[in-house]
Amino acid sequence: MKEILKVNNVSYRYNDAPKDDFVLKNINISFEQGKTYAIKGKSGSGKTTLLSLISGLEKKYCGQILYDNKDLSKMNLDKYRNSDIGIVFQSYNLLPQFTAEENIILSMDISNLKGVNKKEQALKLMEQVGLDKSLAKRRVLKLSGGEQQRIAIARSLSYNPKIIIADEPTGNLDNETESEILKIFDNLAHKDNKCVIIVTHSQNVCDKVDKVYDLKCVNNKTDL
Amino acid sequence: MYIFKNAWKNITRNKGRNILIGIIVIVIAAASSITLAIRESANNIVSAYQEKNKIEATIGMNRNNLMELLKKDNSSQEDMIESFNNIEIITAEEIDNYGNSEYVSSYYYTYDLSVDAKDISEATDSLVKETTEVKTKTDTKTKTSSFAPDHQGPGDFQGGSTETTTTKRRTTTTKTEKIFNEKAQDGAFKLIGYKSYENMTKFINGDYTIIDGEVSSDFTSDSVVISEELASLNNLSVGDTITFVDPKNSKNTYEAKITGIYKENTDSSSNMASMFTNSANEIITNISFVEKILSGNDDLKATITPTFIIKDSSSVEKFSQEVSEKGLSEYYTVTSNLSEIESATESVDNVKIFATTFLIITLIIGGVVLIVINMINIRERKYEIGVLRTVGMKKSKLSMQFMVELLIVSFVSLMIGAGIGSCLSVPVSNNLLANEISNESSKYDDIGKNFGINQEKPQEDSSNDNNEKKDFKEMNFGIAKVNAVESIDAVVDFKVLAELLGIGILLTLLSSLASMIAIARFQPLQILKERG
Repeated sequence: MKEILKVNNVSYRYNDAPKDDFVLKNINISFEQGKTYAIKGKSGSGKTTLLSLISGLEKKYCGQILYDNKDLSKMNLDKYRNSDIGIVFQSYNLLPQFTAEENIILSMDISNLKGVNKKEQALKLMEQVGLDKSLAKRRVLKLSGGEQQRIAIARSLSYNPKIIIADEPTGNLDNETESEILKIFDNLAHKDNKCVIIVTHSQNVCDKVDKVYDLKCVNNKTDL
Repeated sequence: MYIFKNAWKNITRNKGRNILIGIIVIVIAAASSITLAIRESANNIVSAYQEKNKIEATIGMNRNNLMELLKKDNSSQEDMIESFNNIEIITAEEIDNYGNSEYVSSYYYTYDLSVDAKDISEATDSLVKETTEVKTKTDTKTKTSSFAPDHQGPGDFQGGSTETTTTKRRTTTTKTEKIFNEKAQDGAFKLIGYKSYENMTKFINGDYTIIDGEVSSDFTSDSVVISEELASLNNLSVGDTITFVDPKNSKNTYEAKITGIYKENTDSSSNMASMFTNSANEIITNISFVEKILSGNDDLKATITPTFIIKDSSSVEKFSQEVSEKGLSEYYTVTSNLSEIESATESVDNVKIFATTFLIITLIIGGVVLIVINMINIRERKYEIGVLRTVGMKKSKLSMQFMVELLIVSFVSLMIGAGIGSCLSVPVSNNLLANEISNESSKYDDIGKNFGINQEKPQEDSSNDNNEKKDFKEMNFGIAKVNAVESIDAVVDFKVLAELLGIGILLTLLSSLASMIAIARFQPLQILKERG
C-alpha cells in the first residue's frame, strides 16, 4: 500500500497557551491508501487539532506533514483542500440555501473539475452514498441528519480526492445510520483505494477500521 | 463562472436580506439621482446660457486713470480736452494684435462714425446747442501829440516847442472759439460699420429685426440699413439713397443706398427723456463704407469698438493681463460681461451648490449605512464563509462572489432608484429653484421700492410663438437688468445614469471592502467550531 500522508514529529500549541503547553507534541504517524484509520482520544486530546493540521486548515505547527511526499507547508492549501483531500464534519457543514445536488456541484466547481457532467456526477455520487435521486433538488435543511451526512460525504468525494478525513462523522447519527455511513467509508477505502481517516471517540467506529491511533492526553502532552 | 451562478442563487434564496440592502441602495440612488439630475441640468443651463451669451470682452476708457490725467496741475477744461484728444485711439492693427490670443476664440470690431446727412432730419426731440466762449481782450495804444497836455503829472516830460503825449485807449475784442471733443464727434447720425453678418450681434440676438429689405451681403458696397423711425420721419424706403456729409468738411459727401429697414425690439429706451429709441439715428453699414468716409478727411475720427469672444471665464483676467503686456494704454481697460453672466445664473448656481452638498451628505450617510449593513451581513454569513473556505474556495474568489452579489443587488436598486429619482427630480428641482427665484425677486423688489419703483415681474412673452422654452426671464427694474432662470428641467439622462452607476460601484466596492477584510481575517476552522 502506498503511503499517502505522513506526520513527522509534529507539535502544536494554541497561540494563547503557555510556552510549553502543547496540545500535540512530537506526533509521528502515517497513512496509506486503501485503508481506514481511526484517531481516537478523549475530549481535548487534540484529535480535531490533528485533523485540522492534516487537512491544511491550520498552518502554524512545528514538524512536517508530507502529502504524497510533498511538504504540506509548501503547498497551496486551498488547492490541497479542493483537490486532494475531502473533509466530512460531524455537523455536516452543508450550505443550507442550496439543494443537495447544488452542494455537491459547488464543490466540483471550486475544485475546477473539467470534462465531467457535474449534474450526472452528483446524482451518481448520491447513489453511491445510498441516497435516492429524488432528494437531489431538495434543500439540505429538509433532509434528515443521516441524509445530510451522506450528502457531505458525496460532496467530499465529488472531486475524487485520495484522502477522506471525517471528524466524528457519526456523532449525531443513530446506530443504524452509523453502520451505513461506516460501510460507505469502508467501501471507499477498500474498493476505491482511498485513505479514510476518521476522528472519533466511538469504540464502535474503532472496531470497524483497519488501524487506530489513540491520542492519550497526559499532562497536556500527547504521546502515541 | 460558478461565482456568478452562486451569487445569483444567494440573492434569490436570501430575499429578505437582499431586499433590505436593496431598499437602502434605492434610497441612496433616488436621492443621488435627484441631486445629480439637478446638478447636471443646472450645469447644462449655465453652459447653454454661457453658450448663448458668450463671454465677451471689449476695450473701453479707464475712467479713473483718465480723470487723474485730466485733473493734473489743475488744468482748465480746454487743457483737459486737449489732453484727452492726445490719447491715441486704438487702431484696427492693435485689435488684431490683441485678438491673436490663446484666451480668445474669435474677435471682431465695428466702426462708429458720426456723420451728417443731406435732406434728412435726425430723430431728435431736443435742440442742438453750440457752445460759445466769450473772451474779453484789452489793447494798449500809444499816440504822439504836438499839443501840450492839459494836465501834467509829476514826472512827465517838459520843455522844448515840440511835446509828445502818450494816450491809453482801451479796446474790447470778442473772440468766439468752438471747443469740441474730437472723439465724441458732432454728426447727427451714428454710422455703424460691420465686417460680416457674424459680427452683427444685435441682429443675431434679436434686438434688431429687418422689417423691409435686407442687410446687404456685400460688405464692401455703399449700402445702409436704417431704423424704422428714421425711415418714417423722412419718408425713406428701401432703394432710396442717402447722402452723408462729413461733419467737419461739408464739401465731402458720400452716397449710400438703403437696402433695409430695421426695427428695435425693445419697449424701453435708456434715455427716459427721449421719444425715440436709442437706435433711431443708428445707421447700419459696413466697414468699407465707413473707411471710405474716413479716408476723405484725416480729421474725421471713428470710434472702433472691438469685441473679443473669450474662451472661458477663467481667461478673462488672463486676457486683460496679456493685453496690458502687449501695450494697451493705461487709459484704456478691458471690460467683460462675465459678472452679468454669473449674476444671471446665480440662482441656478445656488441650487447646484445645494444639490452637491446634499449629494455628498447622502453619499456619506448612505455609504456608512451600507458598510454597516454589509458587515452585519458578513457576520450572518460567517458560517457560509467557513464552509466554502474549508472546501478550498480561495479568499479572492469568495470576496468576488460577495462583491458580485452586492453589485447585482446594487445595480437593480440603482435602476429602480434612478427611475424614482427621475420622476421626483423635476418637481424637487423646480421647487428649490422657485424659492431661489423668489428670494432674488424680492431682493430686486426691495431695491426697486427704494427708488420708488413698484416694479412687477413681467410675464412671459406671449408673442413668442415658437415652442422653445424661454429659460431666462428678464427683470428690468430701471436700475439693473437681471436675467433669472425660470425652471430647471432636471432629467436623469445617460450622463446622470453613468454617474449614478459610478457612485453605486464605488459604494459597493467600499462596502465590499468590509467583507473582504472579514473574509481575510476569518479562520474557517474557528468559524466551524463556533458553529458546532
